[in-house]
Amino acid sequence: MTAKTSLLKVILLGDGGVGKSSLMNRYVTNKFDTHLFHTIGVEFLNKDLEVDGHLVTLQIWDTAGQERFRSLRTPFYRGSDCCLLTFSVDDNQSFLNLGNWKKEFIYYADVKEPEKFPFVILGNKLDVSERQVSTEDAKQWCQENGNYPYYETSAKDATNVAVAFEEAVRRVLAMEERTDHLIPTDTVNLHRKPRSTATCCS
Amino acid sequence: MAADTLPKVIYEHEGVFIHSNSDDDGLEQDLLLSGSLRIVDKDGEIIVEYRPLEDSVDPSNMLCAGKDSSSVMEWAQCPGERSHQLLETQQSYETEWDMVNAVSFKRKPCTNGEGTLNHSHERSRWAFSFSISDLRSITIKEEGWSYLVFKLKESSTSLPALHFHQGGSTEFLDSLRRYSLLSEAPDDDTCFLVSTPNRALSQSFENLLDDNNFGLVHKLKKDPYVTTLGSFSKVTNYIFDAIRGSEEQHQRPPEEVADLLGEIIPGLEINQQEEPGFEVITRIDLGTRPEVQRRGPLSAEDWAKHLDPEGRMLNIAHLKQVIFKGGLCHAVRKEAWKFLLGYFPWDSTLEERKALQRAKTDEYFRMKLQWKSVSEEQERRNSRLRDYRSLIEKDVNRTDRTNRFYEGIDNPGLVLLHDILMTYCMYDFDLGYVQGMSDLLSPILYVMENEVDAFWCFVSFMDQMHQNFEEQMQGMKTQLIQLSTLLRLLDLAFWNYLESQDSGYLYFCFRWLLIRFKRELSFQDVLRLWEVMWTGLPCQNFHLLVCCAILDSEKHKIMEENYGFNEILKHINELSMKLDIEEILHKAEAICLQIKSCKDLPHSISDILGFTTDAAEPGSQESPRPARPTHQQEAFSNGHGHLRETSHNSCKVAFIS
Repeated sequence: MTAKTSLLKVILLGDGGVGKSSLMNRYVTNKFDTHLFHTIGVEFLNKDLEVDGHLVTLQIWDTAGQERFRSLRTPFYRGSDCCLLTFSVDDNQSFLNLGNWKKEFIYYADVKEPEKFPFVILGNKLDVSERQVSTEDAKQWCQENGNYPYYETSAKDATNVAVAFEEAVRRVLAMEERTDHLIPTDTVNLHRKPRSTATCCS
Repeated sequence: MAADTLPKVIYEHEGVFIHSNSDDDGLEQDLLLSGSLRIVDKDGEIIVEYRPLEDSVDPSNMLCAGKDSSSVMEWAQCPGERSHQLLETQQSYETEWDMVNAVSFKRKPCTNGEGTLNHSHERSRWAFSFSISDLRSITIKEEGWSYLVFKLKESSTSLPALHFHQGGSTEFLDSLRRYSLLSEAPDDDTCFLVSTPNRALSQSFENLLDDNNFGLVHKLKKDPYVTTLGSFSKVTNYIFDAIRGSEEQHQRPPEEVADLLGEIIPGLEINQQEEPGFEVITRIDLGTRPEVQRRGPLSAEDWAKHLDPEGRMLNIAHLKQVIFKGGLCHAVRKEAWKFLLGYFPWDSTLEERKALQRAKTDEYFRMKLQWKSVSEEQERRNSRLRDYRSLIEKDVNRTDRTNRFYEGIDNPGLVLLHDILMTYCMYDFDLGYVQGMSDLLSPILYVMENEVDAFWCFVSFMDQMHQNFEEQMQGMKTQLIQLSTLLRLLDLAFWNYLESQDSGYLYFCFRWLLIRFKRELSFQDVLRLWEVMWTGLPCQNFHLLVCCAILDSEKHKIMEENYGFNEILKHINELSMKLDIEEILHKAEAICLQIKSCKDLPHSISDILGFTTDAAEPGSQESPRPARPTHQQEAFSNGHGHLRETSHNSCKVAFIS
């Protein structure tokens, strides 16, 4: 047997229309569809890859961005190993909202140590000529908010897409290696909230 | 009459245990006896019966659980001696319980755990039954699970405690509450004193439970059913996991996601504001699914035949039936949809409709002017309008762009889509624009090819769909619960499977319901499905049966492949554009007829599907045609609003997280 494949869950968050689904489709199927529908509900795709000798199944989750659907989107944040915060370089508002997305993720994903959680920031639509967000501003935000890796991507022409996802995997693996030294494997997590165990009959 | 003596099963639950350590020496190991517990209504008398499983009493009297290896337990009697009482009964439950009677299983309040029948065998001595009128008290205890201790009136000795290792104690108590009053003992809050009204009273009490007052009776109780069954599903989950073997991969816990969704979707407000109770739906035999025929679409010629000289529509019931059966030819849609959606009244003349259109045109452009005339300055100070506009602009560019009506850059179709959605924001600013609405408008605009008509038809459609998009998404929650109720009736084994995979709240149907299958079917098939649904035939909430029909075709795959939470979601998402509309409509109609012809349909189901429970149609079961439409149609004659879920269309089956 070869090395164990681990399943990593990453989630794409960001304003509607920044290209979350397009990034996912580009990475998993290597296709780009200009006529893609906006996402309703929640979808995910799997991709197997090898990063630095580790076999990984990447499970990429894509959600609908509108505020109204928040309550049906946030449950899926649970169990994420990495969060890809996405904005569009031609949409300043989507950049300004990064902080809100990060907050929402940390709150609902129930992350134990938010300051250590691996976020990767993606500035998509690099192919569009009219930029509203400069690379400098984006990099500065990443530095100030937790020293996150930043990638400028284009789902349309595939620029930096694979690199960004692979970086996400590296970040997760690095996290796990650190914790593996502290906690023996196959432990049961006792911190999970017990689920309605007090079943009173009355 | 034989019917009077047939016991009715009110509650039943497997996996109720007796811990049979002999108290005397205390050294003997705890022996776990598994059994089934039931409450039956025997000719008005309510009897609690416990029966150990694997009972190896005289085989001729033995009842075995078997035959059906699915999680639905079906009881069958073993071959052997047959009681004369059995001859006149047909149904499996009745057969079984008559068998119990035949071996004098009932009405022997056992006094000390040994006064039962068939003393010959170790296990059988643990079987017992008593009438609830003989019951003095029930004490509820917890030991990681719930167990109940019964005390009878005529005995100082209690019966063996019943341990609910697989849940079910709450439902048991709830079922008892339907026939008796459980009041907390003054000195012991774990103990409930039981008092039973007389029979006549209990009969009327039962009638009371059948109608909407059910909620009042149960107001006292919280909603423990949810938690109990929730944990029960965990148990089955372990079983499924055990069968499957431990996964190679370390799976992230999707049940965490599911737990959260379960909290959101059933929405406590549903369980509180509506009847908090539930019906214990024992397995109902639905009978075979009838064959149905679908027909071809209605032609322009046939449509014209339904017009009188003034332009009033004639024979509307028949017309709707034809549309339900085969849809419309595309040429008819532009006119027919206006009637189906309720923009045009069926009984209006051509002149009246022209006048209506003139008035509606004015009204439309007045509202359009409102957003058109907002200056940049104003918009800067109106964040809601700005947000709506931004979302609409983004979504219009991502709606049906491969359709010729919306393809390319600067297609006029895109502008119309945008303008109608913006005007709708003015029409209903509280709702504004929510993602999914562009999907609902696109086919209507495509058919109407007219901004004003499309707008008003969209308004009518939105009247039906409004609750889906509201802040609390109440419409979505209600529909998911109703769908779960239907699915449970149609296929308990599959429903249980979904439960065990944390998917019982049916989140994977979210997109289906939010935008009525718009993303699941090809554009032309969406047109067909929608016009069929808008007839209001053959029952209320037909779209939920469409869901059932699709799931019915997928359930084997889902269960055979042992799909878990994530895989089910993925599988359902990926059905998009692979579904055959005629096959689905065919099956959904057949399911409707199948349910309709069921004799003992739970009220929750009749409520959802809008089956009137008038017993004045004794012969209706034989009728192959759903002949009801006539009077139902009148109720639907405004063409809209009939599909909107009203909150009293509740289901008594508590939703499971």
